[in-house]
Amino acid sequence: MSEYLLQMLNISKTFPGVKALDDVKLEVKKGEVHALIGENGAGKSTLIKILAGVYQPDPGAQFFFEGKEAKIRRPIDATMRGISIIYQDLSLFPNLSVAENIYIGRDSDKHSWKKVDWALMEKTAKKALKELDFEIDVSTPVEKLSIAQQQMVEIARALAFDAKLIVMDEPTSSLSAGEVEKLYEVIFSLKKRGISIIFVSHKLKELFTVSDRFTVLRDGKYVGTYHANELTEEKLITLMVGRKILYEKNKEKAASGKTLLEVRNLAKEGNFKDISFELREGEVLGITGLVGSGRTELAQAIFGINRPYKGDIIINGQKTVIKSSEEAVKKGIAYIPESRKTQGLILRQSIINNISLPVLKKLKNKFLLINRRKEIELAEHYIQSLDVRPPLPYRAAGDLSGGNQQKVVIGKWLSTNPKILIIDEPTNGIDIGAKSEIHKLLRGLAANGMGIIVISSELPEVLAVSDRIIVMRHGRIAGELGIHEATQESIMNLALLGQKGKIREEAQL
Amino acid sequence: MKAFLKSKEMSVAVIILLLCIILAFISPVFLTADNLLDVVKGNAVLGILAIGMTLVIITGGIDVSVAAVTSAVCVVLGKTMMFLPDSPLTIVLIFVIAPLFGVLLGSINGILVAKIQIPAIVVTLGMMSIINGLVLYITNGQYLNSSNFPTVFLKFSNFSVFGISIIIWLFIITAALTWYILKYTLIGREVMAIGGNKESAVRVGINYSKVQIFVFSYMGFLAGIAAIAQTSYTKAVDPNGMLGLELMVIAAVVLGGANIMGGRGTIFGTILGVLLLGIIQNGLILAKIDTFWQKVFTGAIILIAVSYDHIQYKRSQKQLSKIEVEA
Repeated sequence: MSEYLLQMLNISKTFPGVKALDDVKLEVKKGEVHALIGENGAGKSTLIKILAGVYQPDPGAQFFFEGKEAKIRRPIDATMRGISIIYQDLSLFPNLSVAENIYIGRDSDKHSWKKVDWALMEKTAKKALKELDFEIDVSTPVEKLSIAQQQMVEIARALAFDAKLIVMDEPTSSLSAGEVEKLYEVIFSLKKRGISIIFVSHKLKELFTVSDRFTVLRDGKYVGTYHANELTEEKLITLMVGRKILYEKNKEKAASGKTLLEVRNLAKEGNFKDISFELREGEVLGITGLVGSGRTELAQAIFGINRPYKGDIIINGQKTVIKSSEEAVKKGIAYIPESRKTQGLILRQSIINNISLPVLKKLKNKFLLINRRKEIELAEHYIQSLDVRPPLPYRAAGDLSGGNQQKVVIGKWLSTNPKILIIDEPTNGIDIGAKSEIHKLLRGLAANGMGIIVISSELPEVLAVSDRIIVMRHGRIAGELGIHEATQESIMNLALLGQKGKIREEAQL
Repeated sequence: MKAFLKSKEMSVAVIILLLCIILAFISPVFLTADNLLDVVKGNAVLGILAIGMTLVIITGGIDVSVAAVTSAVCVVLGKTMMFLPDSPLTIVLIFVIAPLFGVLLGSINGILVAKIQIPAIVVTLGMMSIINGLVLYITNGQYLNSSNFPTVFLKFSNFSVFGISIIIWLFIITAALTWYILKYTLIGREVMAIGGNKESAVRVGINYSKVQIFVFSYMGFLAGIAAIAQTSYTKAVDPNGMLGLELMVIAAVVLGGANIMGGRGTIFGTILGVLLLGIIQNGLILAKIDTFWQKVFTGAIILIAVSYDHIQYKRSQKQLSKIEVEA
């Protein structure tokens, strides 16, 4: 029998238009804590979902568990083999008791009318909880528990299923420092019992605290597997970032126009704190940081849809309180959310109807009806100036490619004549060629005097469009970098470690 | 016990109690055993249907065809009873035919919802319209009178055990049976689980479509029982008699603390919801207030109850989804 509990070899996964995983491998030894690490979008979640049976890998994948070839077609197959996944958002039933949550899923589907044995259920649950040294009344409904307690219930569920491998996806993301310590203890005790753990996290410190080995993914590809003692935090970051040359770094010099927007000591409980920065005419300000660092929440606060906050927002030199998105538009702010398909566009309607939506009021004729001719002119104007293809105004927005859909969204907001444009993940799910087109478009808008805030997790993108870069970490500004001093490493360093550390550009592999 | 005192059921119970005290002052008749039993008897059909609807709503579904299905079963009962002999066997047959026919109609709903994945409201709206049309076609909109029913059925209708009408017993038995299913069978726990978190339920291997087909079929089964209760109560079949009852059924379930989005609901709560609606109706009659006020009252109470519920929910949601900001 091999030394590995789990071996996933030649794992690839293609989604329409995107290769999420390309020949990745993951090998986990018995009784080890194995860290799985990579940037946002490196393919960690996809790999976990394949392990869990939620996705099927492309043909050619090899999957061994306990030395035997294993087929995992459905989530229940994984559970039955002793692979338990603890998702970041947890998989509990809030309305059911602790005991039921631990016990659920054990009975075969064919015994619908079988009597539920509450006594056995409680016994099983108590036993699993006791193994974790976690005391709680098993009849409590799970919705009454804190996140940390819910996590314990999930771990207990895994134990009740005799899990041999437990995957923890960002388990500490909503735990307090004390709770994290407690989780470490649990992890060590599981390890002692020979249970293997795959630990997915962005927090390098905790990865080094608990992990024996690291597997690093980058852009859906396998970078390598390393022992903890061969790595340092800096080296790990270099491995995660690699040296990608996708786009040219922005070299244009920003026009230093007057200040459009100033944010002073902005804070919102549980979202962000001590945020101060300014945005000038003709400038692109990049805001980056890990998902969950408070970037989007900050943007929404400026746009008036995440209230109330403390601190001041100053627009054109005037202190302003924006109470709704409507007001924000009137003040010349446009906000393009991350999710184009659900928040940005009405996919089934034409390009015309999408572009004119925010300015319908201005298109009224004297009978208060919409002037269709003006509406079409407006749409044609943006189709031309933004080079939407195919240039057919009556096409449904949903028929366009991702890049062209994004252009329609941008056109839609440009029709409100904004002075300040906030755009969240501008090229999410768009192919590379179209990405640089969007980047050029944003640069062009800035050159015409607009102030643009680009929120993005993609470091090459941030480097390609920004004049200045603000890196957020845990709801705070970890640092600000001018474009000439910014590199992927320096940004990652701030995002993960929070200090301006010096990292060697050249990785010593 | 403490949890119970804070529960939604408790707040409905308190409202019922207050209402009873007020009504006892308004009318001396109200707080008599006869009147109270009449209230329950008069709302037994509503109650039986609401019990079934509770399961549907817990899974996050809805069934607006219940009143129509019940009417259809009533018509089938009325028609077949003309040919049935005047023997106790008839009663047995009725208890076979009515639930079976109900399950048949209910399972059609369930299969359409689960297999073709049409939203439940659309499926059951369509079903309601089809059935209502067919019922009118078959009956010409006319009453089927008790004069055609076997006497054994009329005897059954007036039968009572421990001074409690058989109609009320049907309600009680239905409630007890459903409570047992929900609490002690695997399928019952799966109903609760799916309502609580559909994605997790699928992750742990629960067959979602099986559960959906079950709840709609069970709803049909109870519509069959409700049809027997209805025919016993009115001793006639009125093809239009239950138009709009589905709204009262849904109202009772929601008043009883079930969440229309699924995940929460209890049999006990639903019974209280039914009683509350019944008492409001009875009280307004006793207080000699025009019956159309009943609808206004019912509607207002539902809106207040659901708004309160949702405000609580939003508050609890605010606690979630936070980013840990470093101090």
